[in-house]
Amino acid sequence: MSARVGKLRSAAWLGWQIESNWADPFLFVVYTVARPVATALILAGMYWAVSGQAARAQMFAGFFVANAFHNYVTQVMIGMGWVIVEEREDYETLKYVYTSPIGMINYLAGRGLVKLSLGTVSLLVTLLVGWFCVGVRWEWGAVAWIPFTLTFAIGLVACLSAGFLVAGVGLLLPRIAVTLNEGVAIALYLACGVIFPIDLLPRGIQELTLVIPFTLWYEALRRFLLGHGSSARLADVSDLAMLGWLALSTAVFSVVALVGYRALETRARKLGRLDQTTMF
Amino acid sequence: MKAPSDSHAAGADPFARPHVHPAVAFYRAARARLYVRMVGSFREPTWIIGDSLFPAFGMAAFVLLYRALGAPAAYETLAVLGGILSAYWLNVLWGMGTQLYWEKQQGQLQLYFVAPVSRMAILTGMAVGGVLTTTIRTVVGLIVGFGILGARVPAFDPWMLAFVFVLSMVALYALGMTLSSLFLLFGREAWHLANALAEPVYFMSGLYFPLRTLGGFGLVAACVVPLGFGVDALRQVLLGEAARGLLPLDTEIVILAVLSVGFLILARFSLAQLERISKNEGRLTQRWQ
Repeated sequence: MSARVGKLRSAAWLGWQIESNWADPFLFVVYTVARPVATALILAGMYWAVSGQAARAQMFAGFFVANAFHNYVTQVMIGMGWVIVEEREDYETLKYVYTSPIGMINYLAGRGLVKLSLGTVSLLVTLLVGWFCVGVRWEWGAVAWIPFTLTFAIGLVACLSAGFLVAGVGLLLPRIAVTLNEGVAIALYLACGVIFPIDLLPRGIQELTLVIPFTLWYEALRRFLLGHGSSARLADVSDLAMLGWLALSTAVFSVVALVGYRALETRARKLGRLDQTTMF
Repeated sequence: MKAPSDSHAAGADPFARPHVHPAVAFYRAARARLYVRMVGSFREPTWIIGDSLFPAFGMAAFVLLYRALGAPAAYETLAVLGGILSAYWLNVLWGMGTQLYWEKQQGQLQLYFVAPVSRMAILTGMAVGGVLTTTIRTVVGLIVGFGILGARVPAFDPWMLAFVFVLSMVALYALGMTLSSLFLLFGREAWHLANALAEPVYFMSGLYFPLRTLGGFGLVAACVVPLGFGVDALRQVLLGEAARGLLPLDTEIVILAVLSVGFLILARFSLAQLERISKNEGRLTQRWQ
């Protein structure tokens, strides 16, 4: 156990050195902050444009909050996918990492933990923009802290698990790794109802999205932080059931992700793709 | 004894190239680069999917946000148009801005600089190819926006639409030409800079909401990145009053024309300057500095 913690710490330390060293501090901060803030401001602009005319403008806060937490999906999941691309294409060091005693699982987990810290920065900045620029606020005393904390923690596990899956596909399919990284995050943004209720998705797709833990995560975060969700379909689900459902789907998803990653990695090794660069 | 031919006469340069009018050379170089851009863009099917589908996904999410808030239907159309144009900005960033940087990474940049053609011709070919390939890929956005999400526009003048679109593209890709030379100065930061210029420009250009919402800031931002005036003018052509335009359409057309000329001149100047700087500092063939 202590050996595993040591490996995770080493991977996280190395990840931090890489993350904080590729650019000068100014550009680093801009990159970590600029995209989340800009996305938040786009939502703010849309809200400002229609706030006087929209019939359900009060629903905006829930969408904004979910968008803020989507930063974890963006940073962690895409970030872990990018670890593969960077190590293989840019630094050409993936084969050395793969053969080192730390092991890929520990290495990816450690790098993912650094991405979690970056995601936290993005989350806080986005929430600050919402609080001060758009008026997205909540009653601190009314927050259901215990369910909220549990939901938050479970969601982070789901983010890390998704990262493993994306990294595994990136290992197996080098040419589509870059496209995949960006694409999965956008697809989840749409499919999981980050900025709209899933009720607006076509029937059939709604049922599919409920299998993905992130759909429940966003809805639960809204509910426990703001006091209300956004989906009429999920409105009748009790808090306890929501938490249980989220925990179960995340557990299943995590197992599938880890097993899937192992299978993808094994396949990539057999096909000789671990160090296959595409010059992209 | 046979006399030597004229071509081997004393003083003739055996390496002399046949004379080609500069305009013809410009056209041929641009066409050649256009060909490479067009063929290359269809070589990787996953990139076609990524370039066409993912902007459409983002657009769909923003349209559904308006729907969830109960906003007037015109806003959904407005977001569809913005989403479609976002594909062009992504192409400007990744297909123009970072292109010379990619070429440097792959060791081909020096070939561009020793080729006996204008660098502007190469960039022009890239730009025209970029517009054409992106236009083909926006079909997916049109299908999602107008087919699946049900956005609608009233009757409009197609010639005016085509004119404003072409003008917007000239201004936008001229900016892309300028960025391509600027990015030559960057090392691996070029990648991150391009990433950092996506969403902030979406916001400053009012891609998913009327630029008028941002007031004076929107006006200033639109003068820096022509995407703002481009999308605003196109919305006015298609939606009229419902577009809630920033300035009158005629004024925006004049500004777009001025920006087009200005960025083309700037692109030519910056390319020459930055080529000189890169050569002096030995950065033309330097990777991952």
